Amino acid sequence: MTQFAAYTIIGLSLGGIFALAALGIVLIYRVTGVLNFAHGAMGMFSTFVAWQVFYGTPHTGMAPWMVTAEAIGAGLLFAVVLGLVLELAVFRWVRNRPQITKAVITIGVLLALQSAASLIWKNNQYHLPIYLAPQTSTFKIADVPIGANYVVIVIVALGLAFGLAAFLRGTAFGRAMRAVSDDPTAASLWGVRVDMVGAVSWMLGSLIAAVAGILITPFINFDTTSLTLLIVDSLAAALIGGLVSLPMTVLGGFLLGLLETYPTMWIQSLGLPRLIALLVILAVLILRSPRGLPAVAK
Amino acid sequence: MMPGHIVRFAIAIVAFAILARLPVGLDPAFQFDAALAVIWGFGILSLVLLTGYAGQVSLCQATFAGVAAYGAGMTVAGMHGGYLLGIIIGVLAATVLGVIVGLPALRLHGITLAIVTLGIALVFDKYVFQDHIFDWFTGGTGGWQVTQASLFGIPVDSSKHLLTAYDVMLALFCMVAVLMVNLHQSGAGRRFRAIRDSELAASTMGVNLARYKLLAFALSASIAGMGGSFYPLIAGSVSPQPFWVFTSLQLAAIGVLMGVRYVPAAALGGLFMAVVPDVLTRYGHGTFMNRFNYDISYDWFQLAVGVLLVLQLILLPDGVWGDIRAKALRAWDVVRMKPREEVRPA
Repeated sequence: MTQFAAYTIIGLSLGGIFALAALGIVLIYRVTGVLNFAHGAMGMFSTFVAWQVFYGTPHTGMAPWMVTAEAIGAGLLFAVVLGLVLELAVFRWVRNRPQITKAVITIGVLLALQSAASLIWKNNQYHLPIYLAPQTSTFKIADVPIGANYVVIVIVALGLAFGLAAFLRGTAFGRAMRAVSDDPTAASLWGVRVDMVGAVSWMLGSLIAAVAGILITPFINFDTTSLTLLIVDSLAAALIGGLVSLPMTVLGGFLLGLLETYPTMWIQSLGLPRLIALLVILAVLILRSPRGLPAVAK
Repeated sequence: MMPGHIVRFAIAIVAFAILARLPVGLDPAFQFDAALAVIWGFGILSLVLLTGYAGQVSLCQATFAGVAAYGAGMTVAGMHGGYLLGIIIGVLAATVLGVIVGLPALRLHGITLAIVTLGIALVFDKYVFQDHIFDWFTGGTGGWQVTQASLFGIPVDSSKHLLTAYDVMLALFCMVAVLMVNLHQSGAGRRFRAIRDSELAASTMGVNLARYKLLAFALSASIAGMGGSFYPLIAGSVSPQPFWVFTSLQLAAIGVLMGVRYVPAAALGGLFMAVVPDVLTRYGHGTFMNRFNYDISYDWFQLAVGVLLVLQLILLPDGVWGDIRAKALRAWDVVRMKPREEVRPA
C-alpha cells in the first residue's frame, strides 16, 4: 500500500509536468493553428539556459535561494525571447499555410534547436537538478513520506492551468486570444491585433514549456534529446484534451503520468512508458473523435 | 512499351552508369557513404510515394528501414540464412509493419497521423530496438554481426566487396525509381493523387480509401525496408542508433526540403544525408587563413537541415528539386519560344 502511494505521488508529479508541457501546446495550437512539435525542444533549450546559469556561472556571496531564482529567471526570460523570435522570424510568415505545413516547419525548428543545444552542451547526460524546494523537506500523510519537490510540481501545474484559464476568461487580452482562436479574420475586424495575440501566445507557450523543463530536472537524468522527445508524452496529454480544452488537458497529463508510472512497479523498462503514451494517443484518436480534431484557427 | 517508358528506362540506365562510377577509387569511408546514400535514398523514395503521391504524413520511415535491417540481420546472423533470404524477410517485416501503421491511418490524416507516426518511431527506437524482451529480434545489446555474405554467389560484404554491394543496391534503386515514376501515371497512382488532393472527393469518385491507403503504406514501408535490409550488409552489424527517431525526422525534413513530390529528389536527398555529415566530421575542423579555428561537427548538419527546412517551406514550398524543375521547364519554354505556362502538373 505504501509502495502504491509512493508510485501515485511520482506519477502525479510526472503527470504535472506532462500537463504543463501540454498546456503550452494547446495554447499555441488554439490561438495560432500551429501544432508545435518543437515544444519539447524549446523547453529543453530554456532548461539548459537555466542550468547553465545555475551551475556554469560563479555566484559569490549569494544566498542559495537567490541563485535558484536567478537561474529560473534567466531560463524563463530566455524562453519568452525564444518564443517571440520564433513567432516574428518564422510563424508570422506562414499564417495562411495549411496546418500540416506549419507542423512540418516546427519539425525543422525541433531539429535546429536540438542540434544547437547539443553543440553547446554536448551529448552528455546531466543529473544536476534545480530544486525549487529544499530536497530534504518531506512531510507525511498517513505514513507515506512526500517530498516537497513533488508537491511543488503538482501545485505549479494546477496553479498555471487555473491562472491561464482565468487569464483567458477574465482579462481583455485573454478574450482577444479566444476571439483569434475562434476566427482570426472576424477578430481582426473587431480590432483585435492578431499579430500581437500570436506573439503573446508563442511567448506564453514557450514560458510554460520552460517551467515544465525546469521542474523535471530533479527527477531524471536529462540530455538534449530526452527532453526534446518528451513532446510525444505531452502531445498524448494534449490529445486527451482534444487539443482545445485546458481542464481536460491537465487531467490528461495527470492520467498519463499515473498510467506511465504504475507499470514500473513490476517492469523495469526505459521504453515501456513510450509504448503507453503511444497507446493512449491511438486510443484517444481512434475512439474519441471519429471526425478528427475540433476545428481551430487556420 | 510507350515512348515515355523507353525514355525513363534510358534515363535510369544512364543515371545508374554515372552513379556507379562515382565512388570507384575513393577511400573505403567514402564508398561506405555512397552505399549509405542509397539506403537513405530508399528512405526518401518511400516518402515520395507516401507523402508526395498519396498525401499521407509519416515520421517513422527510418523505423521501417530499421525493422528491415534487424529482420535481415536476424535471418543471416541469427538463423544462418542466405543474404537474399535476409533481404526478403527484412522487406516483408517492414511491409507488415507498414500495414499495421496504415490501419490507424485509415481514420487519421494530417497532423494526427504525424503524431501517431512520431509515437511509433519513438516506441521502436526506445522500446523494440533496445528492450531485452526483443533480444530475439535485435540480437541483444551487441546487435547482429554480418561478416561474410553473398548474393547469387557473388561475395558482397562490408570489408572487401563494398562496391559490389553498392552496385546491387544502386541497380535496385534505379529500378524502383523507374517503377515509381510509372506508378505516378498508372491507375493506382491517379487514385493516390486523388486521395492526396481530397479524401472526400476521392471516395465519392469510387476510390476504395481503405485499400489504397493501406497499399500506399505497405508499398512505402517495403521501399524503405529495401534500403534498410542492406544496412547489415554494408555496415557489418546492426544497431539501433542509425534508425532512431531523429533519423526519421531527418528523412522527413530532407525529403520535404528536396521536394517530396519528385523521384529524383530522393537520390539528391540520400546523397545529401549520407555524404554531407561525413565530409563535415572529416574536413570540418582546422584553421581558416591561419587565424580562425573552426570545428564543424555532425550537429551542424542537423542544425543546417532544420534551418534550411524552415527557409524552404517559407520561400520554396515545392522543394529544391521542384524549384529547379520549374525553372528548367520555364527555360525550355523560352528556348522553344512558347507562351509561358503557369503551373505544370507533376
